[in-house]
Amino acid sequence: MNSSYILRRVGYGLVLMLGVVVLNFLLIRLAPGDPAMVIAGEMGGATEEMLESIREEYGLNKPLVVQLGIYVGNVLQGNLGESFFFNQPVASLIAQRIGPTILLVITAQILSILIGVFLGVIAARKPNGVMSGFVSVFATIGYAVPVFWTGIMLIILFASVFPIFPVEGMQSVRLRGADVFTKTLDIAHHLILPAFTLAIIYLAQYARLSRASMLEVLGSDYIRTARAKGAAEKTVLFKHALRNAALPILTVAGLQFGNLISGALLVETVFNWPGMGRLAFDSILRRDYPTIMGVLFFASAMVVVANILTDISYRWADPRLRGKS
Amino acid sequence: MTALLDITDLKVTFNTRYGQVTALDGVSLHVNAGETLGVVGESGCGKSITALATMGLIPMPPGRIAGGSIRLAGEELVGASPARMRAMRGADIAMIFQEPMTSLNPVFTVGDQIAEAIMLHQKVSADRAFKDAVALLDRVGIPSPADRARDYPHQLSGGMRQRVMIAMAVSCRPKVLIADEPTTALDVTVQAQIFDLLNEIQRDFGAAIVLITHDMGAISEMADRVAVMYAGRIIEEATADDVLDFPQHPYARGLIDCIPALGREEHALKEIPGVVPPLHLLGAGCAFAERCEHANDRCRQEKPLLVNHDHHPAACHAVEEGRI
Repeated sequence: MNSSYILRRVGYGLVLMLGVVVLNFLLIRLAPGDPAMVIAGEMGGATEEMLESIREEYGLNKPLVVQLGIYVGNVLQGNLGESFFFNQPVASLIAQRIGPTILLVITAQILSILIGVFLGVIAARKPNGVMSGFVSVFATIGYAVPVFWTGIMLIILFASVFPIFPVEGMQSVRLRGADVFTKTLDIAHHLILPAFTLAIIYLAQYARLSRASMLEVLGSDYIRTARAKGAAEKTVLFKHALRNAALPILTVAGLQFGNLISGALLVETVFNWPGMGRLAFDSILRRDYPTIMGVLFFASAMVVVANILTDISYRWADPRLRGKS
Repeated sequence: MTALLDITDLKVTFNTRYGQVTALDGVSLHVNAGETLGVVGESGCGKSITALATMGLIPMPPGRIAGGSIRLAGEELVGASPARMRAMRGADIAMIFQEPMTSLNPVFTVGDQIAEAIMLHQKVSADRAFKDAVALLDRVGIPSPADRARDYPHQLSGGMRQRVMIAMAVSCRPKVLIADEPTTALDVTVQAQIFDLLNEIQRDFGAAIVLITHDMGAISEMADRVAVMYAGRIIEEATADDVLDFPQHPYARGLIDCIPALGREEHALKEIPGVVPPLHLLGAGCAFAERCEHANDRCRQEKPLLVNHDHHPAACHAVEEGRI
């Protein structure tokens, strides 16, 4: 793996992020509604002079291109602006919330890939077997059911009928003074339901995809070679076949990461998870432009990073891609 | 002396959408230690199925070994446990495949792939196995083997990859080496090198070789004995010289007539009319009857058996009746 390749990918990523900043800004400004009204509304009734002074204060009366220039300049200096609603820097609002979101999204991604791929491989062993049928049915259901519905059903099942998981939040209040280990366990306990809810839809997709990918690979000549060497079936499946079947799975995993973040928004809302998704949801309702743009900025950054990691893992998985750019 | 590999009356069937077809219909073959047996025939005649059955690699289902016996050094392989077959595959009996371009796993280095074969059957460290792999690459004539061992298959040419396959196949000194059209995908000059290598390997390692091919040139170069297959049956068997010089069965004669000869004035190469019939359409008579200029009513109704004639065994009524 050459580092110049990684550097080049990171460079592309930065250019892409700049484009994202500009696009975010323009998209938000295209939306109808006047933020000055919203800000004023929070403070009570507003006269035209008040609105005008708010526009003056927040720079909303300047030409759009000038506003864009100011915003991009600020972002480049690490300043994402101040929230209209919280009167706090957007960066610090996000900093408080990005951790839980990353934890949720990455746990869901890992769960869905591990379980999904495992189910897919098992199904591919006997393409007409019971497991294969189960995976197909499960995948269809998982894909068709909306994520908030799954969340609510899981809450009913595991919080009311079998109360084994907490319904909401990320930490128990009563553990405030507990040691790190207890706290970690507590967070993990809170994490299971939301992460699984978010994982289900993608888990089903990975199961189907890896089943199809494995079936194709298992028909290859080199699989016959592995068997002819005397390799055990599980070695053939998980070593020789899976590594080759991983390429389409990695591709989809990279592409899905963006969807996973938008899915996290709904899951965070259902489970009252203190993450960026809730902030985005509330900020959209409040027309809190700087916060929305800040959230979009970080969400895009996560997608860009995920894609860079996908490209790098591609070259790890397939030596034929190394040495080409 | 009992043969090292002794296949008797092997029957293999497959379930297809045309119903059950018989891919091998009573195949009997034997190979002695240090000997090379050539198995020839057109595509679809059952050569590769015979090889895969011997390796225990017939996909079941849809395939099934419906009868017969495969004995390796006296041990019965038909019905042997999967674990026992795994232990023998790669160690006692190994195989080289037709397509060197696709037979190696693209995501592992060739050294690792050979080392894996060694480690599956011998209790050695990964380091030792890799060193042995490098030595084997050297043995099969790959230059700077220590560097090549760290290459991935796509970095090697077809001929090199087939050498890697050979190195892998002989890594545990198998008693029997099955080579399924090992040179079909290679350039003519590389073909000759691979045959030379197989001959050397046989001398060094003392393995019996089953060479599956449709190339009569390869047979004359490599084989001690030859079995000619057609539509899942052996139709002629003798020493290579006998089959090449005095082919009996009209199909064997046809195959040999297809070889272009130097110095012979020819306007067009001879060919055998028609193709091997689909297995599900085989009738009661000789499978070759439809393509045979000597066929009569008896040929179309009664399957000929492999019996000794003037020279050597052939399964043909016309030969038996002295009509050809």
